[in-house]
Amino acid sequence: MSFLLTCPHCGPRDVNEFGYAGEVTTRPTAKPTMRELTDYVYFRRNVAGVQREWWTHRHGCGAWFLAERDTRTNEVMKVELPS
Amino acid sequence: MSTLAFMSPELAAPEALASPLARALAAAGPALGLQDLSRLGKVELRGDVAAFAPEPGEELLRLTPQRAFVLAEGEVAGTVERARAAGLRAYDVSGAWAGLALSGEPLMRRLTELDLDSFPTAGALAHVTALLFRDGDRFRIFVPQELGHYLVEVVLDMTRGLA
Amino acid sequence: MRLEPRPGERIDRSKEVSFFFKGKRVSAFPGDSFGSALYASGQRVFSRSFKYHRRRGLLCCSGHCPNCMMTVDGVPNVRTCAVPVREGAVVVPQNVRGSLDFDLMAVTDKIGGPFTPAGFYYRVGHRPRALWPFVEKFLRNAAGLGKVDKHRGREHRTDTEYRRARVLVIGGGESGRTAALSAAIDGPGVVLVDESRQLEGHDLGGVEIVAPAQALGIWEGGLVAVAHGDLLIRYRAEKIVVAAGALEQPLVFPGNDLVGVMLPGAARRLVEDWAIKPGERAVVLATDDRGLETADVLRDAGVEVALALRVTKDNPREISAQGRRGRLRRVLVDGEAVDCDLLVMSGGRQPAYSLLAQAGARIEYDERRGIFVPRDVPAGIAATGSVTGEIGNGAVPAPSYGSGGDKCFVCHCEDVTVKDVKRALAEGFDSIELAKRYTTVTMGPCQGKLCQLNSVRLIAQENGEGEAAIGMTTARPPWAPIEMGMLAGRDHEPCRRTSAHHRHEEAGATMMWTGSWKRPHSYGDVAGEVRAVREQLGVIDVSTLGKILVEGPDAGAFLDRLYPNRFSDLKPGRIRYSVLTTDGGRIMDDGTIGRLGEELYYVTTTTTGAGRVLAWFEWWNAVWGMDVELLDVSGALAAVNLAGPRAREALGALTDMDVSNDGISYLDAKQGVVAGVPCLVLRIGFVGELGYELHCPSPAGEHLWDTLVAAGARPFGLEPQRILRLEKQHILVGQDTDTESNLLSAGLDWLPKLDKDDFVGKWATELVAERGVRERLVGFVMRNPVLPLEGGQIVSEGRSIGRVTSSRFSEATGRHLGMCWVPPELAEDGAEFQIMVDGTLEPALVHLQPFYDPEGARLKS
Repeated sequence: MSFLLTCPHCGPRDVNEFGYAGEVTTRPTAKPTMRELTDYVYFRRNVAGVQREWWTHRHGCGAWFLAERDTRTNEVMKVELPS
Repeated sequence: MSTLAFMSPELAAPEALASPLARALAAAGPALGLQDLSRLGKVELRGDVAAFAPEPGEELLRLTPQRAFVLAEGEVAGTVERARAAGLRAYDVSGAWAGLALSGEPLMRRLTELDLDSFPTAGALAHVTALLFRDGDRFRIFVPQELGHYLVEVVLDMTRGLA
Repeated sequence: MRLEPRPGERIDRSKEVSFFFKGKRVSAFPGDSFGSALYASGQRVFSRSFKYHRRRGLLCCSGHCPNCMMTVDGVPNVRTCAVPVREGAVVVPQNVRGSLDFDLMAVTDKIGGPFTPAGFYYRVGHRPRALWPFVEKFLRNAAGLGKVDKHRGREHRTDTEYRRARVLVIGGGESGRTAALSAAIDGPGVVLVDESRQLEGHDLGGVEIVAPAQALGIWEGGLVAVAHGDLLIRYRAEKIVVAAGALEQPLVFPGNDLVGVMLPGAARRLVEDWAIKPGERAVVLATDDRGLETADVLRDAGVEVALALRVTKDNPREISAQGRRGRLRRVLVDGEAVDCDLLVMSGGRQPAYSLLAQAGARIEYDERRGIFVPRDVPAGIAATGSVTGEIGNGAVPAPSYGSGGDKCFVCHCEDVTVKDVKRALAEGFDSIELAKRYTTVTMGPCQGKLCQLNSVRLIAQENGEGEAAIGMTTARPPWAPIEMGMLAGRDHEPCRRTSAHHRHEEAGATMMWTGSWKRPHSYGDVAGEVRAVREQLGVIDVSTLGKILVEGPDAGAFLDRLYPNRFSDLKPGRIRYSVLTTDGGRIMDDGTIGRLGEELYYVTTTTTGAGRVLAWFEWWNAVWGMDVELLDVSGALAAVNLAGPRAREALGALTDMDVSNDGISYLDAKQGVVAGVPCLVLRIGFVGELGYELHCPSPAGEHLWDTLVAAGARPFGLEPQRILRLEKQHILVGQDTDTESNLLSAGLDWLPKLDKDDFVGKWATELVAERGVRERLVGFVMRNPVLPLEGGQIVSEGRSIGRVTSSRFSEATGRHLGMCWVPPELAEDGAEFQIMVDGTLEPALVHLQPFYDPEGARLKS
């Protein structure tokens, strides 16, 4: 894996400078059933396509940000800071 | 005592302080042009970094609008105070980072993939996190102090490879 | 035989270089390769083939085929045709039992044929089963080509360098050079990589030439790895131009591997580069114009060309090469015999598209030209020259010519014949990927460069399918062979050291890895170190623990949301034990949290959990956006744990702080100066004795350690610490718990405050409370003096019902004890169960209280 990821603060860097923190998930807002909780904790959409996900520039500025990446080609369409 | 006094090396008796690079550098000769910068004062700023104005003797490295480092030649207590007065949070991290100065682009190209013209910045060097500065052909590298010995070992080895 | 000097030759006849071949001195000129020099000296047999040990001679002279491979100065599998001569080098043949001329293993060629078709090792020698280990050992020794000297060690240094290029051109032929010069007009940063020596010393205005160097592959992000002598260069290129050219392809006919059969390029190079006469009397059989034109080159060198014929698939012929002792004597074409000692064969050229395929181009079959070509080259990459497929006159060779007679090779590297491929198809391995893996065609040193296209044509013919439908196998790096050492690079593993690291080494500690830190396992006397802590005073370096400052108006609320228990109500100057859980209610990590001020907390974590916990904190705050700063001070601060009955006395002598039990009570956090160093003193316990954990700036860590040791504290390591904490039944997250353990089963039911609105893991913990736990973590003692292994199984009625997580012999109690997971019904004090120890079921008793000082009197004294 060697694609370039653009940190919103530092610019394009080798992806290995970053920590990957997975798909953006939606935490239940009220007490969930066992099934809803299991889904949230264990299941992911795992799309073969554009995925919205968390990254952190671990070996650089340390910022946490979001990216939209095509999981089939590793093309990163967008990066943005969390609002 | 201020709540974070236990973080400040400058509050310790000077003879109680040691550099994490000392032993590894002792193995290298002076001719290699390596300089230990570990004793330099360093302050980490959090908050609206733009509100901090560096004074003579201070060098500011802005990583994000909310995070920066100040390198200071002298004591950092004053730097920390000024930053707090400007509404920022400031931490004496002088003991957290080991520093090394070396010369030459060829050596740097054995150490990091980063664009050497993009310094000062934070990025990966020898597979660890580094704060990087450049003055012409002279480069200053700061890494977490627990990796300082490792950094010198790598630099010495790369120097041997270039010889 | 050397020809008269000719323009363009690459040898310098004014100098002499010599080397040793099989002990004899061989003369050469600078500019020769080992192979050309040997050929000039009369050597014709260069190696023995992989399986059949047939004699092989120069075939491609471009470093692709395996025929010229020899061992040079101890380095195996050197392609002598491409490597320049070195003074004094020692060259020896490989893969022979005996010599190149008389190889015992050639018996496989004479009689072994029927017994050693492709895939024979899947069927031969497996019955009786006991036979296979011997057969396998024999086969493994027989297989392979060069030998690696396992005891030689790593003498050869290789380095890695990072470079950037605006435009990286791969391939220094005409189209590559044109592309490079054109790019250089737009500015600097143009690099041209070529694997031959042609461009050495050349000046190409504005272009940096890197040669001889092999581009190994194209990866994401414009990353191209180039092997340049002893340097592996990792380029990041904004634009990549692939001008890798096209590869000459052999024809397939009986005897096509005899010594004296070569590709056009080999004949050309021998004549034009090295001024060597390739043979006396030649036959040229070629599909393409370029191949046929070799006849002119040969004539020009004084070789008699007895026959030059175009062979295409429209014009079926019977071709067969025959020889004696593996060397070409004559060629039969449609029954007519032509005596010759040289046969130049050409099945056209196949574009070397591998790098483009790796970069994401689509590979398509060009029907008219009969070759596979790259299409849809991705953005940032361009292809130019013969690699695009714009080559040839459109003539295509037949998949094979003739049958019967000698073996008809599809793959020279692996000795795969037409018969082998046909048999594989008949057995059902009929797709290109299956046929490849079964016959091993394309899996040898050339990696398909000389054989893949031919194998596809053959499969197409046999299956009655089109080549387009069959396709080629996946192209993967490296494009050229590379030493593992070069890929491995310099063996630097980031190693974290504490401030007192060398003190531990000086004291004779056995250092071990804990994550990426080095820590002392013990100082050589585990029992003595344990005793010192229980009876006097010990000190352990705990600098490796994670330490995080949490500061801000929302600090307390932030921690309340993350942890099962409460921290917003913790008084400044006090500490609480904490366990971090996931939203699935699983235990992630544990540690302590001290409140240093209204808005300031100090969190400690386990050593290996530090990075994970920091990321967890940061991620949640990225989601929540609370007003809190998180500062990782794990490396900024050194820490030591001073423990034992004499701890107060020793500490008191080094500080002005009030260290009485009222001055610093159990679970207090106080700041002061110790041994001239500003410290945060945490009165916490892990080993169950009176103890103080001192956190100070890392540069002062060594001094603090020295002072404590001088004051009589005995250094103790991780192994004694394990025993000490086990005697107190303190859990070790990751040892006694795993990724599925929850708070309630682990005996931490007192920890979660379920009246809180929300915390990460609350719902899961509630669900477990409602459902009931399925297992419990408890302490146990053995009835007999035997020690179960960690991981030992708890057995009831022949079934495993639990497992041991920690176990040690405890000198303080005189018992073998530990912790284990048992079904809830067994979690009663004194309940008996059985643990499998070395095949015997040993009785054990549940012991719910800490084994040592259960009231904690020593800890809180």
